[in-house]
Amino acid sequence: MLLTVQDYIDGLIEGKIFGSKCNKCNQIMIPIKPVCSKCGNFSVEKFKTKGKGFLKNFTIIYVAPEKFKDKVPYAVGLIQIDEGGLIMGRLVGVSPDKPENIKIGSKVKFELLIENEKVIVVFRVIDINKAE
Amino acid sequence: MSDVDLIGIGLTKFAKHDNKTSRDLLAEALQEAITTVDKGINIRKDIKALFVGYFTPSLYEHQSHYGPLITEWFGLTGIPAFRTESACASSSSALATGYFAVASGVYDIVMICGVEKMTSLDTSGVTDALSIAADDIFELGTGITFPGLFALMAQEYFGKYGGSWEDLQAVTLKNHYNGSLNPKAQFQAEISAIAEKIAIKKGVTFKDELDFLNSKYNPPVAYPLRLFDCSPISDGAAVAFLANSEISNRFTDRPLHIKGIGLSTDTLSIAGRDDLTTSKATLKAAYMAYKMAGITPKDIEIAEVHDCFTINEIILSESLGFFKKGTGLAMAQKGITKIIGDQPINTDGGLKSKGHPVGATGIAMVNELWEQLRGEAGERQVKDNPRIGLTCNVGGSNASSMVFIFERGTN
Repeated sequence: MLLTVQDYIDGLIEGKIFGSKCNKCNQIMIPIKPVCSKCGNFSVEKFKTKGKGFLKNFTIIYVAPEKFKDKVPYAVGLIQIDEGGLIMGRLVGVSPDKPENIKIGSKVKFELLIENEKVIVVFRVIDINKAE
Repeated sequence: MSDVDLIGIGLTKFAKHDNKTSRDLLAEALQEAITTVDKGINIRKDIKALFVGYFTPSLYEHQSHYGPLITEWFGLTGIPAFRTESACASSSSALATGYFAVASGVYDIVMICGVEKMTSLDTSGVTDALSIAADDIFELGTGITFPGLFALMAQEYFGKYGGSWEDLQAVTLKNHYNGSLNPKAQFQAEISAIAEKIAIKKGVTFKDELDFLNSKYNPPVAYPLRLFDCSPISDGAAVAFLANSEISNRFTDRPLHIKGIGLSTDTLSIAGRDDLTTSKATLKAAYMAYKMAGITPKDIEIAEVHDCFTINEIILSESLGFFKKGTGLAMAQKGITKIIGDQPINTDGGLKSKGHPVGATGIAMVNELWEQLRGEAGERQVKDNPRIGLTCNVGGSNASSMVFIFERGTN
């Protein structure tokens, strides 16, 4: 059975971020992929991450698409997941009005947010001290 | 495989064109393109196939199946016609497809079109329409926008190589100066002129251009990028003709020869990349194009580089090999990329000032090379008779990259 986007979304709803692990070469891919990005093997299985990582970078959105218009300004970050790979997510636990106070390297943890019946990937800043 | 020449090209002014649909704009561009074919062209007799780049007609004009729509509008019903889509590189993908069609020997003369009619939607609607060039599942759900994706690249660049938003303004100032010399540009105004206009209107004063760019009249869009770091919302169209080099002398004695072509992709989602300060797709595309042309970046006398946001001109100018990694920003600040500099980039004002009707941009870039390499660029003319030029047109957040190298030819 090929892994699907729905497998990923089901994981998010359970509060987990899933990647894929290749059954042949053990390559870890985050987020989920149906085919190994290293060896091309189709036999990959779900790989559960702890949903933790650190803030690699961020931006503050001031001009948003229609459906997020009422949320500005908000922060979006690129998260380096501890098990490897990057995930983009909305950042909470920071003040979007003060970008200078948002610290690259802060430890973050995945949180599920349901907004207008859609699953939103959110990361909460849990410690502004740099992760090791 | 046959060699391919560009034998004529035209474009509309880039602007907000009220009361004109995309097909009206294309007809205008076609009319101009025909006048640029030195010995004339009879499109009904000569054109064997048509390729048109248009990113999102379905959202802007509730229209798809765009190929036959245009052949009908142009009186060419019957010839094969295709719409190509690669987001902001849609018309470069039309150019590439048309190149394959002629190089393969299947057709001898083809028409390449590019168009986008964006102002039918408001800013939020356009933001939404553009955003579907990013990954809907893994990126857009977070609320990221296109300016936001490039803002992340800018943050990475500053973090890795130093520099700041202030430094990036060298690109804004240069491209607006170049655009002020381009009658086809949406903003034919230097930043100083724009600042002066606003100062008078609002009864305020600015010390200098940077003071204006730092003011509330240049509002933040996606930190650290502000309004004047972004290319505008535009309407516009461009049309070009390609011919087999063996017969191009029927149309002109001064074609532009397609000397190299390179095409590549990167992950659609920027989270899939290990280095946001390099466009890997551009590295690969440029390598292929240089190899095919048998030249190196040093041989490029003029370049059109996809500055959808100021930071991208810097990133791409490095990925194309004009400057070492991390030095592009300093080079722009030194004026190396000005019209009078050693490595002129975006002499037409770039997307930033000329405008960015996304589906028309790739061919509009080629139009600037046509004028520059044939010595017809007027006030914008690069010195010393440039012979070889390059276009680099990317789609989305650099997930598609298409590089073309042109050389002034003689028949």
